[in-house]
Order: sequence, then C-alpha cells, then structure tokens
Amino acid sequence: MASRFFARHDRACTEVVAGSFKTRRSIQTLLQSRHMYFPAGFILIYTLMETGIFQDKVALITGSSRGIGKAIARTLARAGADIVINYRRTGGSSEEQAKQLCTEIQGLGRRAWMVQADISQKESVRALMKEASEKAGRLDFLILNAARTPFKPIEKLLERDLRQLVDTNYLGNIFCIQEAVSLLEKTCGKIVFISSLGSRFYNVSYPLGSMKAAMESVVRDCAEGLKPKKIAVNAVCGGIVKTDSFKVLRQLWEELAYIPEELFVEPEEIADVVKFLCSADSRAICGQTIVVDHGFSNRLYQPMQTKKKEEKETGL
Amino acid sequence: MPQNIVTEEKVIEEIKKAVAETLSGDASTIQPDNSLIKDLGAESLDFLDINYRLEQAFGIKMARHFILEHIEEMFGEGTAIDENGQLTEKAVQFLQARYGDAFPGFKANMDMDEVPSLFTVRTMAGGVMDILNTLPEKCTKCSSVAWKSDDGVKIICASCGEPAAYMNGDDLIKEWLTKIQDEKKIC
Repeated sequence: MASRFFARHDRACTEVVAGSFKTRRSIQTLLQSRHMYFPAGFILIYTLMETGIFQDKVALITGSSRGIGKAIARTLARAGADIVINYRRTGGSSEEQAKQLCTEIQGLGRRAWMVQADISQKESVRALMKEASEKAGRLDFLILNAARTPFKPIEKLLERDLRQLVDTNYLGNIFCIQEAVSLLEKTCGKIVFISSLGSRFYNVSYPLGSMKAAMESVVRDCAEGLKPKKIAVNAVCGGIVKTDSFKVLRQLWEELAYIPEELFVEPEEIADVVKFLCSADSRAICGQTIVVDHGFSNRLYQPMQTKKKEEKETGL
Repeated sequence: MPQNIVTEEKVIEEIKKAVAETLSGDASTIQPDNSLIKDLGAESLDFLDINYRLEQAFGIKMARHFILEHIEEMFGEGTAIDENGQLTEKAVQFLQARYGDAFPGFKANMDMDEVPSLFTVRTMAGGVMDILNTLPEKCTKCSSVAWKSDDGVKIICASCGEPAAYMNGDDLIKEWLTKIQDEKKIC
C-alpha cells in the first residue's frame, strides 16, 4: 500500500529508484534530488521492495494463457508491470491456465486481469481494449502473441482454413494495433509482435509462416506510421521454442529429433527480448524484427542431417 | 491379418493417462464416456499433445486430420461442411457409418464446431484400436510371424524385437472413406 502511494505520487523518483537501485550512483542521485523530503530510510526500504523497471505500466498480451505469451506475462510482471491476460476459448484448458496465471501474477504483488476475446473479430477486439482500459486505466505495452493455424501445406488449405488463417493472424493483429493506438499514444507505448522463423524459411505444414512474414512487414509499416504518436513497433522472431506448439512440430517434422538441444529456445528467452523492446534501452530500435534462435538460422550447414546420414550408414 | 493383442481396456487406460498428463488432471477421475472437450476441457493444441503421447506409447501414427477434413480433401470443399459452417447430408452419412449408434447426435445442418465436442475417450480408443488392428502379418525386419508385448501396450516382434509397423491414421481414414463410398454408394 505504501509503495503504491509512493509510486503514484512520484513517478520520476520511482523510475530512478527502480531502474538502477543497485548502483551507488543512483542512490546519490536520489539523495541529491528534490525528493529529499521523504525520509532517507523510507526510500532505502522502498528501493529494496520495488525494483521493477515497469512499475505502474500495463501490458496486454494476446493469447497469453500458455506458451510464449505466458512467459512474457510472467517476465513483464516480474519487471513491475500490471498484466492483462487475453485468451480465446471459454470453458477450456486455456481459460483454466489463464486463471492460474492471473493468480500467480497477483501473488507477485501486481495487478492482473483476464479478458476473453477472439482477435479475429473486430468487435471482440474493441471490447477487449475497452475492458483493458477500464480495468487497468492505461496501456503501455501491446504484445501481439496470439496465433491460430491449421497444420497443412498451403496448397491443401480449404477456403475456410485460409480465411481463418488471415482473419486471426493478419487481420486480428491489425485490429489490435488499430484499436490500441488511442491508448498507446497517451503513454508513448510499445507494440511488440511475436514472429517465428517460418516467416523466412520453409517449415513443413506451417502455413502460419506466410502470415508471420506479412506481419513483419506490417511491423515495418506501423513503426513509421506510429512514430509521430511516439509508439514504438518492433518484433521478436523465435526459433524452435519449447512450447505446446513444439509438440505439434515434433509430430510433423521427424528431423526435429536430430536438432542439437542447445539450439532450442526457451519461452523465457523470447520474453527477455520482449522486455528489452518494452524498455527505454531499445529507444533507437524501430520497425525491426530481432531473431532469437541461438543461431539456428545462422547455420547453412545443418548438423542433424549429417547425424541422420551417419546413423543410416552405420545401421543404427 | 493377425489378431491385435492390445485390449480396448488397455487403450482406454493409456488414453486416460495421456489426457491427465496433458491437462494436468487426475487419470482416475476420467470416465470413458467423458467428452474430451466438454467434460475434460481439452483444446486443439491439447489434442495434438494427447496424440503425441499415444504415438509414443503404442508406436503408432495417429491421424493428423479429422474425418471431415479428409472428406473435403477427397471429394472437394463444401462436400462435408457447407458455406455456413454446417454439416452436409453426406458428412452425416459418413459420420454415422463410422461411429454408428455411439452418436445419435449427428444431423445435417449441425454446426461443425459442435462435432468435436461429441468425441469421448472411448471414441478416441476406437481410433487407436483401428490403427492397432492393422498389425502386419510379418515383421518388416525378420519376417517372423510371432508378435509379443511385454507391457500390453507396445507390440514387438517376438524373435527380433522390432516394433510392429502399423498403418498411419490418416491413410487408414482415407482407405475407409474410399471403401465406404464404394460399398454404400454415398454421394
């Protein structure tokens, strides 16, 4: 309670404290600042309690009941942000997981809300932004993480599959951006899109890759378009990330078993880069997609194929 | 074709285990007639996870695509689901032929999104049993005709230990659709 009071009354001070309380210099800055009317002891206790760089900021993460979205929610909450968790289906496992995540984040002393919405529907996105803004009072970070796809080669997609693919992964993300602009411009907000290597490389039965490619282009476009409103737009492109979708990948892609363990990405490793893109440290980055894959896409030479060949030859 | 030596009870037990692990639930509370979606709260990604676990346990390949998708792939878009997302008469005939009286619920004009929620642990077991019933005559490696199973789940060659090579789930559905189309003249 005390810390909240403090934070609300002196935002600049909070940020100095929260940003780099470990260094002697920040303490000195603090002591030299005009906020000395707070007793020094109180400030020191406060600095130890509240260390989040995102204190009092609000993040909305689409599709955050599981996988990468969940990891981002946790990471931003640990950095001090309040979190709006979004999920699509009511009554299923994702709603259950969203509930658990909500409780977990509240346990960290942050505020957290769950809002059901299907981003492919413009009205649903409108309602999502309205509810988020009513509950949280502001929006600083919009993380476009939600995705939905059939797992079939593109030439086999039915018209229905194609429309759903575009509705959720292209139109849905754009609806979110459009509907969040009025909130984000008040906070010099950030938009971070979660992409994957499918945007630039072939991946078996992964039509979502074509949508990720389109969105990386949308990110470049909106980065310029929203610059006058001081909204930063960037993306993080994950390699092979160990989430629920990974379980799909291993069924479709037998070679996955031959990829060295060190090339797999943990959801938290994506979340840390999202955190960076939400922080002031990334202020000069605009319209970029940062690849986070432990160097997987860097290799022309793929060790797994060699290993497979060796196994065949030795009859293992 | 030789007799499959895995029992339906064992299959149901394995499915309960896979569902419980995927959804972090308790296997002993799952009933064979529970709907995976309605009663147990599974979602599309969960199905893939459950499938993966079953594939590992039995050494099989589950169908990647649902029967309605196969119908449309074979007979054209719109043959199973109309432009309003509702089941066609043809789709209902195929579903009834496949699942028989287990689901009196199938009817034309039903919303396609309602179909998956009819599926239960037992229906899934039926799909696994169909695949297990394609146990080949001979071992692909040593041509022995004797099969055995130490755990009642994974069948291996009794002489060389090679795992049984079953037909994959998607091919099985396609084969069945062709057969039914010819026999029953569904059109």
